[in-house]
Amino acid sequence: MSEPIIEVTDLHKRFGSAVALDGMTFTVAPGRVTGFVGPNGAGKSTTIRVILGLDAPDEGTALVCGQPYQHLQRPLNQVGALVDAAALQPSRTGRNHLLWMARSQDMPTSRVDEVIELVGLGSAARRKAGGYSLGMRQRLGIAAALLGDPPVIIMDEPFNGMDPEGIIWMRRLLHSMAVEGRAILVSSHLMSELQDMADHVLVIGRGKVLADASVDELIAHASGDQVLVRTSAASEAAGALQRAGNAARVIDGNTISVSGLEAQHIVEVLSQAQIPFSEVTAQRASLEDVYLQLTSGEAEFRASSDRKAQS
Amino acid sequence: MTEALRAEWTKLRTLASTGWLLLGAIVLTVGVSAAVAAAVHVTSRTGQDPTKLALTGIYLGQTIPAVLAVLTISEEYGTGMIRTTLTAMPRRFVLLAAKAVNVAGLTFVAGCLAVAGCLLVGRLLLPGAGLDPAHGYALVSISHSSTLRAAVGSVVYLVLVALLSLGVATVVRDTAVSIGVVLAVLYLPPILAQAVSDPLRRHLEQIAPMTAGLAIQATTDLRSLPIAPWAGLGVLAAWAAASLLVGGMLLRLRDA
Repeated sequence: MSEPIIEVTDLHKRFGSAVALDGMTFTVAPGRVTGFVGPNGAGKSTTIRVILGLDAPDEGTALVCGQPYQHLQRPLNQVGALVDAAALQPSRTGRNHLLWMARSQDMPTSRVDEVIELVGLGSAARRKAGGYSLGMRQRLGIAAALLGDPPVIIMDEPFNGMDPEGIIWMRRLLHSMAVEGRAILVSSHLMSELQDMADHVLVIGRGKVLADASVDELIAHASGDQVLVRTSAASEAAGALQRAGNAARVIDGNTISVSGLEAQHIVEVLSQAQIPFSEVTAQRASLEDVYLQLTSGEAEFRASSDRKAQS
Repeated sequence: MTEALRAEWTKLRTLASTGWLLLGAIVLTVGVSAAVAAAVHVTSRTGQDPTKLALTGIYLGQTIPAVLAVLTISEEYGTGMIRTTLTAMPRRFVLLAAKAVNVAGLTFVAGCLAVAGCLLVGRLLLPGAGLDPAHGYALVSISHSSTLRAAVGSVVYLVLVALLSLGVATVVRDTAVSIGVVLAVLYLPPILAQAVSDPLRRHLEQIAPMTAGLAIQATTDLRSLPIAPWAGLGVLAAWAAASLLVGGMLLRLRDA
């Protein structure tokens, strides 16, 4: 894996008595989509604002391409960010919104027209942005992020307000940009939005990272390598698998659960022992299951510590 | 810096409100001066300052460059665009400087046109009001050094009021509150000064941005002024510099 391009180290930040970031630490590598997921209020947006130099952390550092964001020369050429699609003046046209951004980085006007075409905003570009639908504003925000053709793309809740067609378009776009070797960080409060798109996931809760793993690792971990076997001879099958050195458990009359052995090997063991079976299924948790497991633990922790604080 | 200047210029240029506000500033300033010149009727041979009368419109006209300057940054906070701006231009002093240069430039151009209009109106209308050589008053003309100083100074005055307003809005962030604060800073001290007696009144007029700054318009009876013309403009410049400095520091320190 190549060198991390975003490095967030031990960020702490409080807003009054509320702790927003509590030791947030992670890196984002190029060439893949990294999902940044957690419940609302977990610290995703605050972290992104700190990375972009909008908010200052109380402690810790956030580096992009090895530097704090404020030190980047012409930052839009290095980082494209979609923080808030409503963050524009409604009385300016979409094209002029991109135009001032291009001027701020000394980019030619032709680049503005290129990104307008790229996000499919062509016909609306010369209309006032205040009249755009939320989906069109998202596209304008994405055009702004792509303006400098940057190696790093950061998007905070980019799917909000998008229609299903827009979501599919967005997933393809982010995926293709990752394939081109860019580092993509996409936040969402819904794991389902990231499934099938993110290669790597950072699960966030209460201002820190709860899990930092590839999607496959996360799912394998949560599934615990369980395989279900349907057979009319459950106890014989369990016996045969146990003799082969595996944990096998009879769930009901014709189902057993096996862990620590791949489905293919289970089939071999059962065939050799000449035990009939009708189905061998690897149990896979969905990303959503993993997320709920991780964040529900966090919610319990929160509830119990609240009780402690009250007693 | 050049890029930040061009970006901020593009922002101002692409909002229809910019042009309307500048046009409004010119029309309001010249219009008030014309109304005053048409209404005034002088019988005495002394005590009037034709140049200052001709430039009366600045009293009211200054509010519009102030509003333009406030909107330049408060609208960005109001819409959330400040976050887009700061990701494009993360050096915050540079950003504020770029906004200041653009606001100052536009106000300068509108101010020159407004002041020229005021002087023209004074030249044309004031003789009809009894302010003519027959009654012992010179015609308004920038060939007189004191009138030239008043004219140039009035343009500088407008620019400084705009910069003061930009600084206030950078601190306050909210459009309505910023405009309220700017109007209070400008108009409250002269009103308060009427309520108190000397020497407090004189001191108030020496340190308040509007009364001190507008001393630049006087061409006659300079001794009765609370503060000398250029010194008065210096007081206003200090206000503008302080407001931009505090605004710049807070812009740098606070989260966007």
